[in-house]
Amino acid sequence: MPAYGNEPESDGRRSDVTFAVVVMVLAASTSFLAESNQQRISSALQTTILRPFIATQARLNESRFRAVQVDALTTELDSLSAIVSTHSALLDENQTLRGLLGLSDRVSQSYLPATVLRPGTPGSESMFLVDVGADDGVSHGSAVVSAHGLVGVISEVRAVNAVGMDWSHPSFRASAMLADGSTFGLVEARRGRFREEDRLVLNGVAFNQSIANGVTVLTSGLGDFLPRGIPIGRIEGLADSEGSWRKSYWMTPMVEPGAATHVLVLTGEGGDDVSAVWPADSLATSDTVGVGPGS
Amino acid sequence: MKTPMFVWFLVGVLFVLHFLLHVGFGFGTGAPDLLTIALLLAAREIGLGRAALLGLCFGLLEDALSVLAFGANTIAMTVTAVGGAYTRDLFVGDSRFFLASYLLIGKWLRDLFHWLAVGEGLRQPFVDQVLIQGAVGAVYAAAIGLALAAVAGLGREA
Repeated sequence: MPAYGNEPESDGRRSDVTFAVVVMVLAASTSFLAESNQQRISSALQTTILRPFIATQARLNESRFRAVQVDALTTELDSLSAIVSTHSALLDENQTLRGLLGLSDRVSQSYLPATVLRPGTPGSESMFLVDVGADDGVSHGSAVVSAHGLVGVISEVRAVNAVGMDWSHPSFRASAMLADGSTFGLVEARRGRFREEDRLVLNGVAFNQSIANGVTVLTSGLGDFLPRGIPIGRIEGLADSEGSWRKSYWMTPMVEPGAATHVLVLTGEGGDDVSAVWPADSLATSDTVGVGPGS
Repeated sequence: MKTPMFVWFLVGVLFVLHFLLHVGFGFGTGAPDLLTIALLLAAREIGLGRAALLGLCFGLLEDALSVLAFGANTIAMTVTAVGGAYTRDLFVGDSRFFLASYLLIGKWLRDLFHWLAVGEGLRQPFVDQVLIQGAVGAVYAAAIGLALAAVAGLGREA
C-alpha cells in the first residue's frame, strides 16, 4: 500500500506557477529598464488608460480656480486695460528709439501659465504634471515658478503636457546665489524624518563666508536651465560645516510645492536675468512657506 | 454571489474608483488604496499566473505616475498578488474576520515591498513609511474591505 504524500502537481498548476515566475521576473526587470524606456511606458499609459483621470483633475482644478478667481480677475483686467492703453504708446516710442540707436530687440523670457496636476499615488510624491508641453515651447529643464519663486523644474516633456519635479525631489539641484550676488552655492533638497520635514539647503558656501538669517537666495543663472534671479528661499541658519573649507545653510523655501496649483513655465533661454519679475521690495514683504501661486 | 464575472466587475469598479479618487479628484493619501484591495480580492479568485499578471499591470499603472522609482510599485503589486493567490492553498477562510485580516496584512506587506523596492537613496525612514503610514493604510484598507464585503455580499458574517 503506497504511503500518503502530497498530491502530485498537475500540468495546469505547474504551468500556472511557471507563468507567475515569468511575470515576477518581468516585474523585477522594470526597475532596470533604461530611463528612456521607462518614460516611454509611463507616457503610453498616461496618454491612454490614465488619460481620463488626469483630464478629470485638470478640469476640476480649472473650474475650482475659475470659481475663486472671477472677481479678482475682473478687477485685475480693469486695471490692466488702463495700464495697457498707455503702455502701447510707450512701446512704440521704445521700438522707434531702439531702431534709431540700432539696438536689437530685448531678449525676454516667455511665461506659459499652466495648471499643476498631482497624481497622488505611491512614489509620485515629488512630481507633478503641467498641462503645457513641447507644442507650447516647453523643454527639458524649464523652470516652473509661482508668484513667490521657484517651484521646480521640468524633467520630461511630451507633446501636450510635461512632467516636473518640485524642489523636494532628491535629484533637485539649483545653482544659487545670495540676492546681492556676494556668495554662490548649490541648493538641494534634504530629506527629513517625515515628508513634512523636507528642507532646502544651500550647499558649497565657502567657510569664511557668513550669511545672516533671512537673506534671500536666488537662482544664479549658472548652468543651462534656470535663468538668473528666481527666488528660491531664505537663509534660516547654519546646517553644517565641513572641515574648515565648506558650510551649508538651511533655507525656508519661498514656495510650498503642495500649495502650488497654478504656475508659470519659463520657456526662454536659460541665461536670461528674470530678477525684475520678483522685485526685492516685494520679496522682503512677502510671506514664504505656505503660499502658493494661487494665493 | 461570487461568480468570476462578479469578481471582475468588482475589480473594475475598484480600479476606476481608485484612480478617480487619487488622480482625478487629487485626494492623495486621504483616499484608500482601492487598487490593492481589488488586487487582493482578485488574487484569491483568479489563480496564481493571472493574479501575477494583474499585479504587474496595476503596478505599471501606478509607476506611470511616479518619477521617484519606476518599477517599485510593479514589483510590490506583483509580489503581493502572488502572495495573495498563494494564500488560497493555505487558508480556505471565507469569514469577514478572515477577509479583514487578509486585507490588513496584504496591504501592509504591499507597502513593505514597495519600501524595499524603492531603493536606499529614495526610501523614507522605515518607522514613518512602513510602521506608521503602512499600518494606518492597512487598517484603512481593511475597514473599506469590510464595508465593501457588506455591500457586495462577500464573505460570511460569522
